[in-house]
Order: sequence, then C-alpha cells, then structure tokens
Amino acid sequence: MKNRLKVLRAERDWSQQDLAEALGVSRQSVNAIETGKYDPSLPLAFRISDVFAMPIEAIFLRD
Amino acid sequence: MDGDINKATSNSLHPAVWGIGFTLGMAAIGYLEIYAGIGRLGAILLMIPVMAMLIPMVRAVQQRAALMGCASPALVDYNRRFMIWTFGYMAALTIAITMHQKMMLSDPILWFAGLLPGLPVFGMIWTMVRYMREEKDEYLRLRAANAGLIGTALLLALATPWGFLEMFGAVPDVPAWAAFPIWAIGMGIGQMLQNRKS
Repeated sequence: MKNRLKVLRAERDWSQQDLAEALGVSRQSVNAIETGKYDPSLPLAFRISDVFAMPIEAIFLRD
Repeated sequence: MDGDINKATSNSLHPAVWGIGFTLGMAAIGYLEIYAGIGRLGAILLMIPVMAMLIPMVRAVQQRAALMGCASPALVDYNRRFMIWTFGYMAALTIAITMHQKMMLSDPILWFAGLLPGLPVFGMIWTMVRYMREEKDEYLRLRAANAGLIGTALLLALATPWGFLEMFGAVPDVPAWAAFPIWAIGMGIGQMLQNRKS
C-alpha cells in the first residue's frame, strides 16, 4: 500500500525518530511503513491518523 | 534523516561475526565428538568458551538494534532473560554430564540428571513467549515471528533428510537436543536476512 507518511512528516519537519516517539513504535517501524515494506495494522493506522490529525484515507492510498 | 537507518554503523564487531563464530564452534565440537572421539564431557567443556561468545554477541545485537532504531524495552528484557537462561543451561548441562560420568546413577536420579539441562531450555522458550507478549511494536513482533519461522524451516529441512540418512546408516546419530541450537541459529539467520532487506 502506498502512503504519504514521508511527505506529511517532511511538512512538519519531523524526523523518523520524532514520529516513532509520537506513535510509540521503533524508528525502524516508521522506516518500514514509509518505504512500503510493511503495512500497519488498523489500530496503528488510526494512531498515525490521530498524530497527523488526518483521516486514514488521506495518508494511505490504494495501490 | 531518511535512510539514516540504513547507514547506522557501530564500532563493535557485527553480531553476525559472533554468530558465525558460535555456529562454526558448535559445528567443530559436533565434528570432534563424532569423528575424533572427544566424548560428551569433552564436548561440553569445549562448549563453554563457544557459548561464552553469546555475551559479546548479545551486546553487539543490542548496540546495533539501538543504532538501527529497533531497540525496544521488550527486546532489552528478552536479551537479558535469554542470557540468564543460557548460563543456567551451561551450568545444568555441566552438572548433569558430570553426574552421569562420575556416578552410577539409578532410575530416579538418572531421570533427574537427564531432565536437568532441559529445564533452562523451557526458560528460554518461555522468554520467547514473553517477548511476543510484551513487545508493543507490531513490526518488531512480526520480524521475530518471521525469524522463528525461518528457524523452524531450517530445523525441519535439516532434520528430515538427516533422519532418513541416519536410518539407512549413511550418517551418524545426532542427539535430539541439537534441535534447539539449530533452531536458534536459524532464527539468527532469519533476523540477519530481514536486516539486509530493511
């Protein structure tokens, strides 16, 4: 699944570590999601949505 | 920041170096026991320095995990607990082998000596179960599960043909306790393969 995590993070001038801490996951997890190697579970997707204050479908896109 | 994760370096030796050393050491002990007649006690004594390699290996794993951004509190606890059980295993194995070599054991004590080294292995398995329960990072949990599957695949792929070869007398007997170290080596290989991909 494609996502806009990297762009959204850059807009806020957040590092992967900043986002990882906000989500309560490892930096490697953020990297894996961002690069499309790992699709997060629904609960984590909702947490990401909360952190960016955006709906899930505005962050994750269908292939 | 992007890509930092892939550029992480450490001043200490790569965990794979210790892992390869450990694997080669164990393989050499197996070879010496089967073909050079060093005996089980000799094999156990040689196993002590080889297993001691696990200490710097775990330290290197933790350092690398921190550098790669995948060190979680659950992982630190897992490494600490696993190390404790590893030393418990070494101690139990030494006691059991010594009892078997030096004493004429009768049934109940023979069973006790035989089962003693298995108890810390239950501790190691419990440590893995606890890690899967305590790890809050779902991606790290997935990686651990994948590594476990790779370990299982390696064990089954080796044990099944070996069993048939052994039945036909083509290869020597390998003790059943070798299953756990082989599985653990496979799990380590699984973690390394996933590190290469990420």
